[in-house]
Amino acid sequence: MQPAMDFLIKEEKVFSGGLSCRGCGWSLLVRHLSSILGENTVYVVPASCFSIIAGPYPLNELRGSVVHTIFAAAPATATGIRHALDRQGKKDANVVILAGDGGTFDIGFQSMSGAASRGENLIYIVNNNGAYMNTGIQTSTATPYGAVTTTNPQSNYKKTWPKDLMGIVGAHNIPYAATASLAFMQDYRRKIQRAKEMEGFRLLMIDGPCPPGHKVDPSQSIAVSRLAVETKMFPLFEIERQQYTVNYIPEKFVPVEECMRPQGRFRHLFKPENKQILQDVQKHTDKYWERLLAMEKLTHELNIFED
Amino acid sequence: MNNIKEITKEVKETADRFPRHEERILKGNYAASEAAKLCRVGFIPAYPITPQTTIVEDLSDKVGKGELDAEYVNMDSEHSVFAAAMGAALTGERVFTATAGQGLFYAHEVLHAIAHYRLPMVVCNVGRPSIPWNIWSDQTDSLAQRDTGWVQFYGESSQEVLDSVIQAYIIAERLELPVFVVLDAFYQSHTSENVWVPEQSLVDEFLPPKDRRNYEIDVEHPKAVGGLVQPEHYGKFNFKYWEALQKVEDLTNEIGKEFGEHFGREYQAVEAVNIGPETKTVLVTISSITTTARGVIRNHSDVGLLKLRLFHPFPKKSVLKAVESLSDDVAFVAVERNFMGDKSGAIKQELERAFYGERTNPIYDVYTGHGGKDVPPRTIEKIIYRIKNNPKEFTWIDIE
Repeated sequence: MQPAMDFLIKEEKVFSGGLSCRGCGWSLLVRHLSSILGENTVYVVPASCFSIIAGPYPLNELRGSVVHTIFAAAPATATGIRHALDRQGKKDANVVILAGDGGTFDIGFQSMSGAASRGENLIYIVNNNGAYMNTGIQTSTATPYGAVTTTNPQSNYKKTWPKDLMGIVGAHNIPYAATASLAFMQDYRRKIQRAKEMEGFRLLMIDGPCPPGHKVDPSQSIAVSRLAVETKMFPLFEIERQQYTVNYIPEKFVPVEECMRPQGRFRHLFKPENKQILQDVQKHTDKYWERLLAMEKLTHELNIFED
Repeated sequence: MNNIKEITKEVKETADRFPRHEERILKGNYAASEAAKLCRVGFIPAYPITPQTTIVEDLSDKVGKGELDAEYVNMDSEHSVFAAAMGAALTGERVFTATAGQGLFYAHEVLHAIAHYRLPMVVCNVGRPSIPWNIWSDQTDSLAQRDTGWVQFYGESSQEVLDSVIQAYIIAERLELPVFVVLDAFYQSHTSENVWVPEQSLVDEFLPPKDRRNYEIDVEHPKAVGGLVQPEHYGKFNFKYWEALQKVEDLTNEIGKEFGEHFGREYQAVEAVNIGPETKTVLVTISSITTTARGVIRNHSDVGLLKLRLFHPFPKKSVLKAVESLSDDVAFVAVERNFMGDKSGAIKQELERAFYGERTNPIYDVYTGHGGKDVPPRTIEKIIYRIKNNPKEFTWIDIE
């Protein structure tokens, strides 16, 4: 057991005055990330909440370089920066993409897949808050089943399951992909450290609390993030060269309702007529978890993906 | 025998004119890739598209063989190609790539970003149209990018493409603007011509290594680039950009002259051929149609030719100067291998803007050569005949 002090930021690399909403995950995420990666880092930011949080012209929230780029091609911009830095002998500099789920699951998907396939030496951070929050809560392919957004209002709530990004990213046979939660700070920090030590395309998907988007009280951001892990709605795991490792197994069964009830975006599902939907979400969550455990077992036993 | 002697003499004279050059037979696309190599480009993101593909194939080969010290990356789309070009240029590298038609249209968003981030780079576009599907020569693709803010040169020959790429890097890097050098599909890209390829040292003397300007991403000096600009500041960026664009025409002429002194081949923003007291009609052309027109007007002492080498920003001063001796009844004929979804073609639109308040000449628009349809001497003759005998403001020559 590591000492509890391990989640404290030793050296702050973020200036005060970040423009995030109260209870937003981005600021906490980036504070820990930047403190571990250090100032020798270029952050590439496509259109996302973070493009605002990082500061409009001429501000810079981070101690490090920030490049704001187009929505669909942050990994491509990062590729250009990476190769230029390499040519200039700066191979030790980190090039990090900070994108949302829209910029990753949807519009930036091809560009991300291209960079992963080429094995670009980049760290990709996805703050997955499950919708286009910067434009005001519109559905993305990361939006959970049953959730309400402005493009899936209550009369027409989302009725498709989110894309399995981790499965797809893992299938690119990259050195490292992992999920992380801001409620499990030691695990998150370890994963940043692990990604930092590796070379090649590395991706971390962080469950992104978003009080205005999820309709959660800002004080409950971390509590709800913790429930997402405890209910197995957001499992913590790593994929190294297609080999799965589950990092946290909840001690007791916590039904998905526990995580969904505090989130206003799921409020309609608690009407008696929508009971079936909650059951479907529970079933889907359980299946995904079982699949995850099976993948862990299978890929460890086969052990064929080691490079 | 005399004929052979004459040819030998001519070859020797040309060789004397271009010392420190190697005479080679190159397709237009290889003239482009050779130029990129001579300019010592450092980063080449690539995505294949006909008829550009052999440019990037050749560059990949040159990098693979160690003839060119550059990072070559096969990207996932043209959108990503231009986004990667943007990242590398922002980090201070000399960037080159090539594209065409649909690829250029797909990259449209990024073209704006590159231009407005003021990133110097040179890109060859091998012109082809969009839908209906077609891969052959047409300038609609690049002309439709006119308002993205890229400087645009059109090459009449492979030699001119090679020479323009070298000049374009100087213009791009001095003014911090991106530049297109446009080739004609197949008539140029896949057609072999004699090309004088300068020695590397000759190019090095002319084109210095890319200097750093302090705006580049540089981990030792962290900075934020490209953040949201408030209304209060936005216009200032456009103003600075507008100021740089005003300098393109003069710099093109200046660099073209210096190039002539250094390499023996001089270039200007525009070229006037056979424009004088006898001129009754002026054909206005871009790219390889110019060469055909050059041949045809030898039989027409009263027909002049105005070749536009720089198209954007439109070289108004140079155009007006080239035709200043002409009276206002001389007919101008815009030869349009483009369709802008408008009544007038791109050349006529620009000529009208340039002439407004300055000249009152009639400008006739001739649509021809679309989607790669050949524009042989016969077609140019037909254009001249029509304008002389039955001039109409708009003529679609190929569909009659």
